[in-house]
Amino acid sequence: MTNLDTLLSDVRRGMIPAHIYNDEEIFRLERERLFNRAWIFVGHESEVPQPGDYVVRRVLDDSFIIVRGEDGQVRALFNMCLHRGMQVCRAEMGNSSHFRCPYHGWSYRNDGRLVGLPFHQEAYGGEAGFPRRGQGLLPAPALDIYNGLIFVSIDPDAPPLADYLGDFRFYLDYYTKQSATGIELRGPQRWRIKANWKIGAENFAGDMYHTPQTHTSVVEIALFREPKAAKRKDGATYWAGNGGGTTYKLPPGTLEERLRYVGYPDTMIESMKRCWSPEQRDVVGRDGFMISAASVFPNMSLVHNWPKVGDSDRVLPFISIRTWQPVAPDETEVLSWFAVDAEAPPEFKSLSYKGYLMCFGSTGMFEQDDVENWVSLTSTAAGAMARRLLLNSRMGLLTDGTPVSRALTGAEFAGPGEARVGYAEHNQRQLLSTWADYLQRPSEPQQRTRLGAAVNDPPGALAAQPGKAVLA
Amino acid sequence: MIADTAGRVGNGGSYSAQSPLGSHASVLQRVGRTLPFSDERHLQAHQWLVDEAYLLDAQRYGDWLALIADDIHYIMPVRVTTALGAGYDSAPGMAHFDENRYSLGRRVARFQTEHAWTEDPPSRLRHHVTNVRTFATDDPSHLVVDSGVLLYRSRGDVREPTLLSAGREDLLRQTADGWQLARRTILIDDSVLRTQNLAIFL
Repeated sequence: MTNLDTLLSDVRRGMIPAHIYNDEEIFRLERERLFNRAWIFVGHESEVPQPGDYVVRRVLDDSFIIVRGEDGQVRALFNMCLHRGMQVCRAEMGNSSHFRCPYHGWSYRNDGRLVGLPFHQEAYGGEAGFPRRGQGLLPAPALDIYNGLIFVSIDPDAPPLADYLGDFRFYLDYYTKQSATGIELRGPQRWRIKANWKIGAENFAGDMYHTPQTHTSVVEIALFREPKAAKRKDGATYWAGNGGGTTYKLPPGTLEERLRYVGYPDTMIESMKRCWSPEQRDVVGRDGFMISAASVFPNMSLVHNWPKVGDSDRVLPFISIRTWQPVAPDETEVLSWFAVDAEAPPEFKSLSYKGYLMCFGSTGMFEQDDVENWVSLTSTAAGAMARRLLLNSRMGLLTDGTPVSRALTGAEFAGPGEARVGYAEHNQRQLLSTWADYLQRPSEPQQRTRLGAAVNDPPGALAAQPGKAVLA
Repeated sequence: MIADTAGRVGNGGSYSAQSPLGSHASVLQRVGRTLPFSDERHLQAHQWLVDEAYLLDAQRYGDWLALIADDIHYIMPVRVTTALGAGYDSAPGMAHFDENRYSLGRRVARFQTEHAWTEDPPSRLRHHVTNVRTFATDDPSHLVVDSGVLLYRSRGDVREPTLLSAGREDLLRQTADGWQLARRTILIDDSVLRTQNLAIFL
């Protein structure tokens, strides 16, 4: 394989070795150095509203029970019995006070504590042989929540989620904080696509350029008036903190008029005005930019669009949140949720759900054509020729690195980070540069957790071997 | 009709009635036992399903739409793995398809443009329809029909083909133009679909 440093430096300058989209070695590095460290979105608090409610979600191969305990706290418990490693929860969702392993019957409360160990006295000699007190399902090394969005990290030293998201929180609020209550999630639809996980994340982060071509059919059937090239290139892309996204430029008007233009009813507009900062209101009301697709590094994406949901000219907005969960170098499981403000009127919720189904998700008419492209790219990236090809991802830069269009000033774009009008691949490069930073850094020694103890355990037995660097 | 622990009745249940987009749909349900296979009503229903499968295989969606009633509700819930006795087997408030005449019409119109890339070149499709059971309803002009459908979908010359297996419950309505589909529930047998999208109909 190519020298890793060379590969990563090519990526950073926007010349993308095509094989990174289907490569076992790269995938192994992503597992070890990226998905073992970054914050990964696993669900939303609204999916587990009551004590005992749970959903089971994965971070790569690790299964976690995302569960609300009787104390109201949301936890992520590693779904592996401490005894012989069975999954203690084999459903995808439900409500339970306990999880009992079907193998030997060890049972755990929904806060993770081990409470049942059959024949503890007879088999182990009680606490003297296996101290049960204080044992529990392993918690995710880190869990943090923003606007109800639950993230976990396999890295116990992960920075606080707020720092990790950074200024992207400003934009995340448009999707997830339209009222004091915030959003509720439905779903997810889940399906597997034979495409590398990075492609979707890049696409949602900044690819306004594909919209008029890939999604021509959606404009032709008058489902959505905006993706025409003339409108799409007037939008801005922004990158802030650990995420970035795309916007549409709206027709002239006030904040209220522009929110009405995309289909929000006045009651929702009033609550958005109360929840959003002056700068958040200005991006829409003063500057005329409306958020559309976005990605949070590494594999969470969001989308906000406003299709026609019935046989009239009325448009109505919807929000979707998704993760691109890696399965293999050439396979991704998509988890796609419909999200809607919990305080929205019932009719709005129904029609917004309708808009989501028509546009995105497993049946969405936008999504259908996207995935066809990504599957094709992934299968072509596996061969010898792809190793010789550097894909040009330098749109928006001259050969000497000068940007084609200047960054918007604070007077033109009230949001944080860097924003530019028009087609470019600044965001895709930013996403992959961050990816390169993670892949460059060798992994640290892993802490191990063990249960019980043998008296002759050697000192230092708890420290594992440092992760070996795979590539020179 | 007795529902099982997850609320299913045959291949149907309350999915359509519970959908926020299903309030316009007929709520007619099956009555009594399976009609004999020799019953004229069963023979007509079975033939309708096989003829429909041909239209879906051939992607003759305009002709297919002519068989769809104006008040159609076409729903494919998102199935989830739940504990036995949980009382539900699909994601609350979410579906893959949750369609009325307008949205089915938009989907068909899209396939009829020259820019629906996901089916250009088209997939090779075969809907295998089986396990057909027909039931009367309280309205003599309506039948409830359960069927199994296995869709084989092959694209290009490199990718693995994909399979979708589902049980369906249809409400068929007799009209002057023949039988029309007034309600369809599709119980897909996967919680995680193994196909790149649902740019097909079941």
